[in-house]
Amino acid sequence: MSQESQVTQLPKETITFNLNDRDITVPKGTTVMEAAHRNNVYIPHFCWHPGLSIAGVCRFCLVKVDNRPKLEIACNLQATPGMKVSTLLPEVKEAHKWALEFHLVNHPLDCPICDQAGECKLQDFYMEVGKYKSEMDRPKVLKPKALNVGSELVLDTERCILCDRCVRFEQEVTKTGALGIFNRGDRAIVGTFPDKKIEHNYQDNLVDICPVGAFTSRDFRFKQRVWFLKDKPAVCPGCSTGCHVNVYAKPEVRTYYRVKPRESAVNSFWMCDTGRKTYKHLNQDQRLRFPVATDSAGKRKRVSTAEAVASLVAQLRSVAVQDVALLVSPQYTCEEYAAFFDFFVKKLGVTKVFQWREPTEKLEEFDGLLYRGDHNPNTFGLSEALAKVGLPKDVKNGFDDLAHSGAKLVIALAPEIGFQFPSLDSQFQRLSELPFVSVWTTSAAAYNVQGFKHLLPLKGFAEKRGSFLNYQGKVGELAHPFPAAVDDAHDVVEVVTAVADVWAHAL
Amino acid sequence: MSEAKPKIILRTEGFPDQRSIKTYVDKAEGYTAVRKVLGGLSREQVIEEVKQSGLRGRGGAGFLTGLKWSFVPKDMPGPKYLICNNDESEPGTFKDRYICTVNPHQIIEGMIIAAYAIGANKGYIYTRWEFQEEIGYLETAIKEAYEAGFLGKNLFGSGFDFELDHYSGAGAYICGEETGLISSLEGKKGQPKVKPPFPAVSGYLGRPTIVNNTETLANVPWIINHGAKAFRQWGTEKSPGTKLFSISGALNKPGVYEVPLGYPFASLLNDEGGGMQAGRSLKALIPGGASAPVLTPTECEGLTMDYEAMAQRGTMLGSGAVMIIDDRQSIAELLKVTIEFFAHESCGQCTPCREGTGWLNNIMDGILDRSAKPDNIERLRTVSRNMGGKTICALSDACAMPVMAFVQKFSDELQAYLAAGSGSHSK
Repeated sequence: MSQESQVTQLPKETITFNLNDRDITVPKGTTVMEAAHRNNVYIPHFCWHPGLSIAGVCRFCLVKVDNRPKLEIACNLQATPGMKVSTLLPEVKEAHKWALEFHLVNHPLDCPICDQAGECKLQDFYMEVGKYKSEMDRPKVLKPKALNVGSELVLDTERCILCDRCVRFEQEVTKTGALGIFNRGDRAIVGTFPDKKIEHNYQDNLVDICPVGAFTSRDFRFKQRVWFLKDKPAVCPGCSTGCHVNVYAKPEVRTYYRVKPRESAVNSFWMCDTGRKTYKHLNQDQRLRFPVATDSAGKRKRVSTAEAVASLVAQLRSVAVQDVALLVSPQYTCEEYAAFFDFFVKKLGVTKVFQWREPTEKLEEFDGLLYRGDHNPNTFGLSEALAKVGLPKDVKNGFDDLAHSGAKLVIALAPEIGFQFPSLDSQFQRLSELPFVSVWTTSAAAYNVQGFKHLLPLKGFAEKRGSFLNYQGKVGELAHPFPAAVDDAHDVVEVVTAVADVWAHAL
Repeated sequence: MSEAKPKIILRTEGFPDQRSIKTYVDKAEGYTAVRKVLGGLSREQVIEEVKQSGLRGRGGAGFLTGLKWSFVPKDMPGPKYLICNNDESEPGTFKDRYICTVNPHQIIEGMIIAAYAIGANKGYIYTRWEFQEEIGYLETAIKEAYEAGFLGKNLFGSGFDFELDHYSGAGAYICGEETGLISSLEGKKGQPKVKPPFPAVSGYLGRPTIVNNTETLANVPWIINHGAKAFRQWGTEKSPGTKLFSISGALNKPGVYEVPLGYPFASLLNDEGGGMQAGRSLKALIPGGASAPVLTPTECEGLTMDYEAMAQRGTMLGSGAVMIIDDRQSIAELLKVTIEFFAHESCGQCTPCREGTGWLNNIMDGILDRSAKPDNIERLRTVSRNMGGKTICALSDACAMPVMAFVQKFSDELQAYLAAGSGSHSK
């Protein structure tokens, strides 16, 4: 994306100007808004967005430049040497109050039933710069509501403040031009063209950039008040781009609600709708909730983690090392691979290591924006980890090879993001026909496969520390885990440590 | 030459076959100025002459034409454009359509000269859609000029090319704002563009573009032929030349008149306009189109028709649309139609204008049906004050300024209208 080109740019000529009695040095050509943004001076705005072109229409970011008669909009004002800019003068504050008042003239003020409430710029600015007492006492203009404009979106044109961000996003980012502003004056409404809908995989970005509750997410709508949510930074596990994201959950009830993009050089401000669905498998109804082992009578039963580990070690001891195979999906962290291979390959000497990939995947596919054909977050990291223990690093689906390897004991790190593995059910079925497979997984689907004799519940990507290497080998860090939604869930490092421990003590 | 009522723009008015190229060429020095320019004047010389003449933009803003031309970057390679803003849409104004009716060739000649001065080889005349007849006159004139070899390649053997096309929008007021016009000409929704960049640097299709009003361009051939000094014999120091005024209202002779700038309003009203109709008296004057703040009869005393005198009285000459408001007109209803116009024509991009014009219109609805609270009259001013100077283009101000003046000067009548219905003859 565009950030890459910024890295290669030569250092620019800089200029120094004064913002609120503070000298600020910025590259020549920087606008006052950008300069303020980078220097933690907040200038209220609706239409300006760092990832979009300048529209200059909300007229909110008015600032006073010394010796100029009129207030000017910071978003389209180039900082020049010696320029003295204030956002604090009474006339500027008065202008901000009225700018907000105009935005609210025809806004329905339906905050109690609006999903944006709590993260709405109208509300925020009302508190920060508002007039508090509106002077509008006339009937409001009514506009169409609850419009179906795309599979992921619901549009309320009455809440819309016509900042034009969504229109520019459609023109400049997805280049689909699916939205326009129709009619004029206070009858203007945002919308799609006749008989057309927004059809791309980036719809929810419109919800993110919409500063008010005009665009709401079909998935998140009416699910939860945002002020009850906690968000933690993570990396999207949905493909090899590895968009930086925030995961939103309500940890006290162990429920995840949504994934949103976090600004980074990898993904700029955006992420795809597919990636946004990577919270669903983390919720309890999708999870393998406890370890499972099979007793001597052949009966599957719930066991403790310690019992599950002990039974796995017993199985390991009962077979020759050349009869052990590892089946590893590219959806685990580098740290997990390191621990896993350190023990099973370097210490025990397992040589049969296979990659568990989706047979229908088309690695070379790319939508031109963010979403890649490799639907795994850590193909790169898996290759590196394999190479480190002297195994071939080629990206190759080893599922068939494993099935024909004659292995008597398989330890399988199952794919976490099941919806990215359309063949998962049939692969589970085939795996379950092997003599003994220990499936390490987050997914309840594995439990439903009766042939699986040994199951260990894992933590999901939002619940563990570690890192992914994206398609370029760039590190994406998981550093702020939520507590696991399932008590018995562990990450692979923890499980391997336990296995190694039991193995060592049993000697 | 120094006659009292000189004719620059309307010099073929009333001639038989007044619009034809033949009349213009044979009887009104037609296409002699362009020969002079292309025969040996440099671009700088043309710009300098127009600068010296003090010609100010006749569309409303009154910006110095020569200065505007000089903003076009000289050495920038690639195409540049000249656009004639013939979108005349300020309520009360009908002078540009009259130029098209009397002498469209003068516009074309002015355009060739202006294009040469700024280095443009392509021009457009952008006409208000409603002017269907005038569009026909212009298209005929363009055809005649091409046939005569006055448009096209290598004009008058000078090596200078100028192609001219006509274009019409869908009839939006805002397409008379130069960047709104450019958006429309580009095939986009007619809305003004955020500035900077200014059109002289990045205009039509992102290229340097000059947009001049029809009347402004029609002045240019005369200035070239007779010189800046001759032009300055009329008008005032800061408002030289003549100006067309479109006078409307309860007059005996409403119409378009060309008089020198600085001309007394009383003479314009009583001589050109033929005085008030019997039984009517002057209640108010809107001197420069719907966006010009209203003047009371007292303020009209000693008023002269020039940019400075109008500014002194807190109003503006605008496009020269002189609207005479007589004693039978209701200020409340007049204010309503004025605001409704701007609320209808606001493009809707900038929040203060979109919401402000609509809010004012909403309040006026309440005043007309008497559902508004009394403090809403003062609120008209509060809202207007906060709409001004805050938007991409001047439409917001164009609505706010007259509202503030109406409310300030006719507050009693508005209050009375709201309270009882006096001051209205239609309620």
